[in-house]
Amino acid sequence: MSTLKEILTRRPVAATIRLTVPAGGARPAPPVGPALGQYRLNLMAFCKDFNARTQKYKPDTPMSVTITAFKDNTFEFTVKSPSVTWYLKKAAGIESGSSRPGHVIATTLSVRHIYEIAKIKQSDPYCQYMSLESISKSIIGTANTMGIKVVKDLD
Amino acid sequence: MALSHFFKHLSFASSNGFCTLSRSFIHPSLTSLFKNINGKTQPSIPTKISHPLSHCYTSASEPASSTLLSPYLSVRIQCRKDIADMFSEALMCFGATSTTVDEDDNCDTSNEICIESIFPESEDVDVCISQAADSVGLKEKPSYEVETGEHYDWIKKTQESFDPVEVSEGLWIVPEWKTPPDAEATNIILNPGLAFGTGEHPTTRLCLLLLRRLIKGGEYFLDYGTGSGILAIAVLKFGASLSVGIDIDPLAITSARHNAALNDIDPEKLQLRLVSGNTSSPSIDEHKDVRKQTSCEMVVESEHARYDVIVANILLNPLLELADDIVSHAKPGAPIGLSGILSEQIPCIINRYSPLLDNISVTEMDDWACLSGTKKLTGN
Repeated sequence: MSTLKEILTRRPVAATIRLTVPAGGARPAPPVGPALGQYRLNLMAFCKDFNARTQKYKPDTPMSVTITAFKDNTFEFTVKSPSVTWYLKKAAGIESGSSRPGHVIATTLSVRHIYEIAKIKQSDPYCQYMSLESISKSIIGTANTMGIKVVKDLD
Repeated sequence: MALSHFFKHLSFASSNGFCTLSRSFIHPSLTSLFKNINGKTQPSIPTKISHPLSHCYTSASEPASSTLLSPYLSVRIQCRKDIADMFSEALMCFGATSTTVDEDDNCDTSNEICIESIFPESEDVDVCISQAADSVGLKEKPSYEVETGEHYDWIKKTQESFDPVEVSEGLWIVPEWKTPPDAEATNIILNPGLAFGTGEHPTTRLCLLLLRRLIKGGEYFLDYGTGSGILAIAVLKFGASLSVGIDIDPLAITSARHNAALNDIDPEKLQLRLVSGNTSSPSIDEHKDVRKQTSCEMVVESEHARYDVIVANILLNPLLELADDIVSHAKPGAPIGLSGILSEQIPCIINRYSPLLDNISVTEMDDWACLSGTKKLTGN
């Protein structure tokens, strides 16, 4: 939670910008350019910062980044790992989920896959205090909505 | 050259007072009014700029121009405040490339908020918005208006935000359209365009400070990943005899050439080369095709061990992959500077470069670091 000092010195926020940028691939071109340029943010500083911080991910993984632009043209941003649906699709090797989730099963994944995804997700800012088990449960829930069945062992 | 023509137009337009117009009309109820004014005061400028723009960029690189300068769709959507967050996430899932939510203090009384979203030109905005509204649980489709955004809008805006900055005592970086605050000091005049290097970033500053210590006069310098050319130009001002800047991005080379001209530098003293990046990322393949069409110089790297000082201000992964290549260009015992790395990435870089460099030392500023060392005297 914020301290009193932080609240008093909080800069007025001009806007909240959400973007999806490939890891290590931020450039001044769209989507970054127009969205940030509107608020006169230093595009190059953001690109360099974002690219440096996403070096540890595989190139071109779509990262979701939320930028808070302040009225004095400065900004802060947080980078979140790709969405669970993206990881599930990648793990299963499919392009899109099933068209009728619950009725038609698109593919199956083993518990090991879920565990690996949960480990990556645990480093996300909002998942850090959740146990691996609860993260896995939520991933299984997402998989169900996509029509991906989770089995104990793939044979 | 068409490119300098383009930049002159931008500075002309901004000095016209257009930027003050954009600042004063931020209030949401007036933004629609602003858009009308936007449309009216601008008719002459788009026609003037679009021709030099398309001309210079298509001659430089085909694939880059198609993404960089293709118009995008900018959509303003009205929706309720409480679901704005979820709705923007849903829009992103269904095809928007970005969503922006304005924080407006004047909007407290109404419970409506404006989401501004950017879509690629080919996207069906209507379908996307209805799908997003459905998934969030809105009973009716929110009202929205679509506008085609042109790129000079945001390009111009980012350029307006640069001020002269003093990197260290007696060394200033000044944007092209401002006057140097101190005419006696070493002033580097820049127009960064879309390339990296305005002088404000900690890594650029760290490199400039390092170079100031290293350059005594008469050296051959290699700027590996030159961006706007700022380091290559600075080094010539410090007294080096030859500066070579290489980059894999054609826009960077064009920008660096422009900056060299701004600082009255002879093309013989500052040579710029576009090289092929044959490391991972797919966009590099575009550059390979592009090189066949460009008139930029293409040089196979055949000069080894002839530079007295080398600086590479790029990113962690390229630094790790290209370590051997970077070091091979230096004379034995020559200082090499590496930057563009976060403080937490230092151990990784030291690990990779310790077999190649002696006397490794690290300087840090904010969260960024610069590593310098001298090439080992034995070996290659």
